[in-house]
Amino acid sequence: MDFITQPVVIGLTEHAPLILAAIGFALLYKLTGLINVAYSETITLGAYFGMWLNTTYGLDFYTVLIPTGLLAGILSVVTYLAIFRPAKRRNVGTLEMIILSFGLSIFLRHGLQFVFGYPVRFYDVPPPDTIMVLDVGVTSFRLLAVISVAVLSLLLWVFIQRSRYGLQIRALANDEDLAQVSGIRPLAVTTLIWFIAGVAGGLAGAFYGVGSNVSPLLGWRQFLLILMVALVGGSWGLGGVILVGVGTAIALAAMALQFDQALYAQLVLIVAFVVVLKVRGTRLTETAKV
Amino acid sequence: MVADVVGAEAAVPAEAVTRPRIRVQGAVKSFSGRVVVDVDDLVLGDRPIQGLIGPNGAGKTTLMRMIMHSTSLDRGRIALLLASGGEVALSALPPNRMAGHGVVKSNQVIMDFDKLTIWDSLLLAVAEARYEQPHRIASERTVFDRHEGQIREYLEYFGFADPAAFAMSAGEKKLLDIVRCLLLRPTFLLLDEPTAGLPEELTEKVMAVVRDLAAGGTSVVIVEHDLNVIWSLCDEVLFMAEGSVILRGDPQAIRENRTVVEKYLGEGHV
Amino acid sequence: MNIDWLDAFLISGLFQVAMVTGLALLLHLQLGLARIANFGVVGFWGIGMYVFGVLYVKVDWPFGDPWQFLASAAIATFVAGVAGLLIGWLISDLNTDGVLVGTLGFATAVQILATTEDDFTGGALGMGGLDFPFDIGRVKDNEFLWLVIMVAVVAAILLYVWRVHRSPYGRLLIAVGGNEPLVRSLGKSTFRAKLWLFVVGSAGMGLLGAMNGVMVHYLDVGNVGVGVTLAAMVGLVLGGTARVWGGVVGVILTVGLFDIVVQSYLPLPEEWYSQAIPVLREAAFGLTLMLVLLFRPLGLLGDMRRDKLMGRIHGR
Repeated sequence: MDFITQPVVIGLTEHAPLILAAIGFALLYKLTGLINVAYSETITLGAYFGMWLNTTYGLDFYTVLIPTGLLAGILSVVTYLAIFRPAKRRNVGTLEMIILSFGLSIFLRHGLQFVFGYPVRFYDVPPPDTIMVLDVGVTSFRLLAVISVAVLSLLLWVFIQRSRYGLQIRALANDEDLAQVSGIRPLAVTTLIWFIAGVAGGLAGAFYGVGSNVSPLLGWRQFLLILMVALVGGSWGLGGVILVGVGTAIALAAMALQFDQALYAQLVLIVAFVVVLKVRGTRLTETAKV
Repeated sequence: MVADVVGAEAAVPAEAVTRPRIRVQGAVKSFSGRVVVDVDDLVLGDRPIQGLIGPNGAGKTTLMRMIMHSTSLDRGRIALLLASGGEVALSALPPNRMAGHGVVKSNQVIMDFDKLTIWDSLLLAVAEARYEQPHRIASERTVFDRHEGQIREYLEYFGFADPAAFAMSAGEKKLLDIVRCLLLRPTFLLLDEPTAGLPEELTEKVMAVVRDLAAGGTSVVIVEHDLNVIWSLCDEVLFMAEGSVILRGDPQAIRENRTVVEKYLGEGHV
Repeated sequence: MNIDWLDAFLISGLFQVAMVTGLALLLHLQLGLARIANFGVVGFWGIGMYVFGVLYVKVDWPFGDPWQFLASAAIATFVAGVAGLLIGWLISDLNTDGVLVGTLGFATAVQILATTEDDFTGGALGMGGLDFPFDIGRVKDNEFLWLVIMVAVVAAILLYVWRVHRSPYGRLLIAVGGNEPLVRSLGKSTFRAKLWLFVVGSAGMGLLGAMNGVMVHYLDVGNVGVGVTLAAMVGLVLGGTARVWGGVVGVILTVGLFDIVVQSYLPLPEEWYSQAIPVLREAAFGLTLMLVLLFRPLGLLGDMRRDKLMGRIHGR
């Protein structure tokens, strides 16, 4: 059974932040239509916020999570209000919007590098407890990451499916003009979406950071995987993102156990995801409006 | 003047020509559960110019897009029956192969290239694929010289104000779309509301060109809300409602048909 | 010729400007005309550089330079073109989001392979042994001659792009960028157009990569990062994506400003050059990209003017 339980447990616990980040990214992508490359810096900044609160104020990791999530959420909203909203009002096209977010991503990443320098930094936390799950040792931080993903996804699902705001969010995603006529305030709802996405990204960053270390490239290193999970899984909704994310996490762990170089796992996943997109793309071309 | 545009073929009497036809068999298309087109067996192109009429939502535009395969079929088959007797399964071809078989459609909504001028747009339509390869960077002159005369004739006939500039008005863009279609030398031409938004004088000119084209052996199917165009232009009219063709006949017969009057024209229309 | 006034910094700065201009010109065909955002420029450039490097250093050629260089560079260009064919095929039916994944994924794959296949590439340690295919005297003379050759190659690319604007092929690319379904309905294979676009563009980027390998003498995985794509993109966007000269103007104002003016002429403390300047350069590029797209999305030169061009080449 080891060959199944090991990748499942290791994959889920090690790559839980990936799933969390993908949920946040997919939320933005599906509901606002924006591919936000700078989302990788929301993750990175989450890691830095957590580390700052942890090392400067001596808060333990669990306490740090709440303010970290809030700060990352606020940062996300600020990028929306300061950059993406004005850009949308200026009718910047879809393609240009991606390049714009790419520019923001680069700017933030190197800004961070300028401020914090090259050396990697670490959270100041006592060694985590190791808990045995199905005969595989897992640190308490990683277990907490898995639990956070589960709780946050459940909350999001309930929020979007059951609450008044959730209804408005879905309405807005379907048809902005119609939603506006029905008395929904797009600004408030969109801000909320950006906030939730930011919280998810920031928490993912904190979990990434405490798991290894913090550097300006933290988020960017994960971005391609997040993008692929969100794009491929996103077409089946939130559940699809979680499912594809879980599958990716397990596949990464399974391949890391097989290959002598961990990077090969990424390579295999890149090829697999691009092939999925290609196959799906071939079916989509017929919906041309001529 | 009109005869000049279309060329010598116009002199051939219509009866002597065998026309390409399109056969639609068991073609079904639904959008989110609602059946939009459900055509059992339909042959188009028996007569030179056929009109396709019917209330909004009857599936006229969708049927045309299914023929061009720019909308996929849920099931069914659409084939081009060539004048020479052969057969081409259009529903198995990608959209860009239609024009090569002579099947061409003009667009209902305005379709244009924002960054291309009128000349550009027309040269694009006529340029052969072999000149559009990345190493043929010196072939502009060749393409221009080969097709200049033909393009100029259309430009003058329709009276484009400044063909070196961009198409500005909706009418100009619509006309440009039609001229692009004509330049592709169609053998089966589908026109989706070609005269919508055109002034009367230009509508007349478009109709004249269509007539000449049909006389030259091209099969024309036209969807049009301006019924005057239909009654005066078409040799046969097909009435479509709820996704299928329920009646076909001479313009006069359709015009007086009880069902058509009730469902579409309304009482008091003659 | 007396080139004493040129110092090593200036030559390498000018070389960078010329090379990135070449990349921006090739990117212009994809992004500016066909509206395909290639985020994997560094991948094609990098594959050219590494294939060239491995062939030049590791293969026991029966002949010496310049043939050794020419053979290696030709194969590297070819391999980059084949990579372009593959990526072009993969992304041909995808929308902008899919293109982002495909091209970024390719660039990442190249970076991964350059790291893992260290038997060939030297991996993270890097690989030396590259040199100029000629020796005309001092290092500086060789470098200067190589700069001249690079400028000639980029000038050829510029001429090609200039001709493309005046050819049926360029018109097809602009049409593909404007309304792809409409192009298909005119009986044209947009698939084939995109495929060729990527083959030619990628091959060119690969050649520029190979030539860069010669200049730097040393291949390092750290150089195959997103910074190359960024430099080409920011130059092109600043100058104007739709214009032939957009890339030229933009790259001079961005890469030229940092790699020549700041590096050579600003009196900055020595330790800044290794640490702060490269980071500030990237941050400034990112900021420029944002500001241009927000306030002047068409770049300094503005939109293409087909009406003027058509008037000029065919008369009214």
